[in-house]
Parts: sequence; structure tokens; C-alpha cells
Amino acid sequence: MRGWLLAAPAFLVISLGFLLPVALLFRISLNRTDEGGAMQPDITAATYARLLGDEFTAQLALDTGLMAGGCALAATLFALPVALAVRAAPPAWRGPLALAAIAPLMVSGTARLIGWLSILGDFGMVNALLALAGLPEQRLINNWTGVRIGLTESLMPYAVLVLLAGLGRLDPRLDEAAATLGAGRVRTFLRVTLPLAMPALVAAFALTAVLGISAFVTPRLMGGGRVFVVATEIYDLALETVDWPAAAAMAMLLLAALGVLMLLRSAVRR
Amino acid sequence: MPRGALLALLGPSGCGKTTTLRLIAGLERADAGRVLVAGRDVTDQPPEARNMGVVFQSYALFPHMSAAANVGFGLESRGMARRDRVARVAEALAMVGLADLAARKPRQLSGGQQQRVALARALAIRPDLLLLDEPLSALDAQLRDGVREEIRALQRRLGTTAVFVTHDQAEALALADLVAVMDQGRLEQIGPPEELFERPATPFVARFVGRSSAFAGTIEAPGRVRVGETLLMAAETPPPGPAQIFVRPHRVQLGPAGDIPAEVTLRTYEGATALLTLATPLGTLLAELPAAAGHRPGDRLMATLPPDALRVFAA
Repeated sequence: MRGWLLAAPAFLVISLGFLLPVALLFRISLNRTDEGGAMQPDITAATYARLLGDEFTAQLALDTGLMAGGCALAATLFALPVALAVRAAPPAWRGPLALAAIAPLMVSGTARLIGWLSILGDFGMVNALLALAGLPEQRLINNWTGVRIGLTESLMPYAVLVLLAGLGRLDPRLDEAAATLGAGRVRTFLRVTLPLAMPALVAAFALTAVLGISAFVTPRLMGGGRVFVVATEIYDLALETVDWPAAAAMAMLLLAALGVLMLLRSAVRR
Repeated sequence: MPRGALLALLGPSGCGKTTTLRLIAGLERADAGRVLVAGRDVTDQPPEARNMGVVFQSYALFPHMSAAANVGFGLESRGMARRDRVARVAEALAMVGLADLAARKPRQLSGGQQQRVALARALAIRPDLLLLDEPLSALDAQLRDGVREEIRALQRRLGTTAVFVTHDQAEALALADLVAVMDQGRLEQIGPPEELFERPATPFVARFVGRSSAFAGTIEAPGRVRVGETLLMAAETPPPGPAQIFVRPHRVQLGPAGDIPAEVTLRTYEGATALLTLATPLGTLLAELPAAAGHRPGDRLMATLPPDALRVFAA
């Protein structure tokens, strides 16, 4: 009983700040847009039917899923050596190294993306170096390439964080035991480290995939308006097209998709 | 170190005995010096090339593998064919009496069983050297004696040369053919248990191995040592000068006649024997006697220290 009481403030905040807006959003998604583009009060699933039957929405969902899945996979795989290195470091170094690995979270995502724009831009560092080497210029921003680079980088700190927590239980003695039994580094990694890291890898992938699916700023800035994903489409529907029922319905579909993913994950874990 | 022998590295915690073991296994790099196995220099070899079976203090069993897979891991790394491997794993598990638990995961095994899997895993590769880091420290006191005997019997039967680390001097004396006493990274003495106990080479060994009474005194002439007002005869002495004198409690003789007046201040009953704490002109003297002798605190006796019972070191 006391536990419930202590949870009351958090419950209040979540109710007012999340559940209530989501309920309002759901209500809006049931309204109707008339020919003139104005919203009319109604209770209809027509908007959902329109979105779900639309090829553009299907393409949008596929692109978003591939982007999130790919970037989450890349972020998790890049984060694994970082987490393993932090774990293998002398104890006094572990704290500072872990902090360094998640330091990007302390800088605003927008500032980091603007940094990427100047590195990857047409006259940016990478293209300057390519020009010096006599290689052709590459388009690295305002397209999917830029979005993938930026999103992977922004997801990596989260992956490192999850892996560090998950790998904490991995005993360094196990590597040593494998070595004394005659296993080289590759065998030790494949037969001992990787299987034991698998739950942490799955958790890191799941978290970063969910963050990737709902990512908005990265596709918006790195895509330069030429990359369309679910989150940017919701923004465009709400503020450019001003089709609120469609924007709300799309948001509800995204929320439902994420909910199903979370349920699937906890089912797999059990 | 002779082939087939069991060597104990004995010392207080932090003396470098585990580091020494890790150096032998190749898990630690040597800044200086060399590691020789059967005359072969392995100093620059990585652990995976050394063919040494290591039983870690925490056992370090692979938690995601069955007991059989743990034991088979070293054989798999050596590229042994599956059929031979299965036979060798079964043999190793049978050796430690775990044949019927082969499919269990480590967390489904008791501490003693995990210990045996670790031992079987280390022995299955037929190591040139078996290394055990405090192999009994994680076990209950009741299990310890049994496991100790098993390790000893197995090591004898297989003729595997072994090194084990311990901070328990009773364990080292009981189990080892050779005991190396270490302190602060230095080797103090190496020898058979009897030699260590009866003829400690340094004051540290005298104090660390077994019980002793210690006195400060002066060597006046060869064979003559003065402690306070009392003159003692010693079988062996360093050149004259200040000295530290050690006496084992079981060598102290007590009776109505003797050289040193002693009063019993404390009697510690230990079953077959009793340890008497005696106040003497020398200082506190410990004496071990059959418990049946029936001494009580307050008893006044005379103590005799046979000359060959005194270990005298230059201080």
C-alpha cells in the first residue's frame, strides 16, 4: 500500500504528461478531414483504413524499419568492442572510459548532427580528404547515407550503456581459463565471450531499434527533407499538410508497432 | 622441481604466490627472469601454447556450457576428433566421480561438484603441469579434507606434476611433497614439509609455519645464547651478536626439575594435546603436552629447552 502511495507522484506525471495526451491523440485520430482539409468531429476509422491501405505508408514503414534495424545492429556491433575494452581496462580506468563512451549523450543531439553536417557535407572534412587523395566526391548528407551515419552514431552511446551493464557479469577469469585450455583469441571470443554477451547484445539491439524507429531529428537534419520515415511524416502531416487526424492516426500506429515489438521481446526472453 | 611432485606455494595474502602461479601459466608477463618447464623456456609463450591445466580459485567454469562441454573445451581447442573427445571427457568426469552429472550446467552443481569439474577440465588436456589456485578456499570446512585427499590421490595416480597456492600452512604441510614459503614477493625457503617445520631457514618461516615462541637475545659464544638473565645452550648458532630465538611448543620439556622456572598462565585444550602458555624469565613460552598431563593455570613448573630445539637467527 505504501509502495503505491510513493509511486503516486510518478503516476500523476505519467497520467497527465503521457496517458492523457495519448488519449487525446487517439480521439483526434478518429475525427474526419473534409474535402477542404478542415477537421470535422466524428468517430470513424476511415483515416486508419486510408493509411493502412496506402502504398506510401507501407513504404514508409519498411524504410523506417530497415533504417532502425540496420542502424541498431551497426550501433550494437560497434559498441561491443568498446564495452569489451572498457571491461578489460584496469579498474581505475573503467569509470573514465565508460564516461567517455557515453559522453555524446551530454551534448545536444542537434549540435552533434550539425557537427556531422560539417564533417560529411559537400565541402566537409571527408570530401576535402577525398579530393586531396584524388578520389571522386561523395554525397554523404541529405540522403540515406547521412541518416544512417548520424543515427548509428547517436544510438551507440545507448548500446554501450546497455552492454556495459549486461557484460558486468562476464568474469574476466573465463577468458583466462579458455586461454589456459589452449583456445586462441578468436575461439575464446566465439565460444565464450559472444554466447555470454548474447543477452546483453539482444537488449542493446532492442533498445536502440526502438529509439531508431521513433527517431525524428536525425532523419530530418541529415536527410535534408529528402528522407521520409514515419516520424518525419507525422511532423509533415501535422504541421505542413495540417491533416491532424492523419498525423494522429500515424502516431497511434507507430505506438502500436512499438508496443508489439516490446511484447515480442519479452515473450522471446521468457 | 622433480617430475610428478606436488609443490605448495605458501605465504600470507599478498605475498605474490598467486602472481607466481599466473606467471607459470602465462597469464601474467615476467618483467625479469624466465619460466622453464622440463628445461624448455616458455617465458615468451602465450598461455594457450603452454599446455598447463589451471584450476582457478573461483573455478571459472563456462556458465553456458554443460559439465561435459566444459571438460571437452580444452580438447576441442586442440582439434581432437569428436569421438576421441567424448571418450576422454567421460574418462575425466568418471575420474572425479561426476560421470552421471555430465549434462548439468555449472549453476546446477554444488560447490564441491563445480570444483571437481574444474579439476577434470584441467586434467583432461593431460597438462605438463597442473596449477591450482587456493583450490579448497571456496569449500566448506567439512568438504575440504575429503577434496584435499582426492586431489592428492588423483595427482599421485596420474603422476601429474602440480603446483598449488595456499595461505593455509596445515594444508601445505599435509598435501605437498615440497613447500615453497613466500613473503613480499621473495622466496624464503623451499623444501620438504619436515625440513620447513624442523629447520626453518629464516625467522619469517619459523614464525609462519607452525607455532613457535620467539625471544630476542644475544649470541655470546658459539652455542651460547643469552635471553635476559638466562643463558641457553643451542646446537647451532650464527656468529656472536644480537639474535632471534624460536622454539616449537612440542619440543619444550616440563617437569619438577629443569633450567627455567615457569608458571602456567593459560591452558588451551586441543583434544589429544593441551597448549600451555607459560610465564618465564625469557618471556612468554608456549608448550604442547599430552592433555592427560592435567596442568592448570597457576601451576609452577620447571622447563627445559633441549639445545637442538632452539632455532637461532642473527637479528
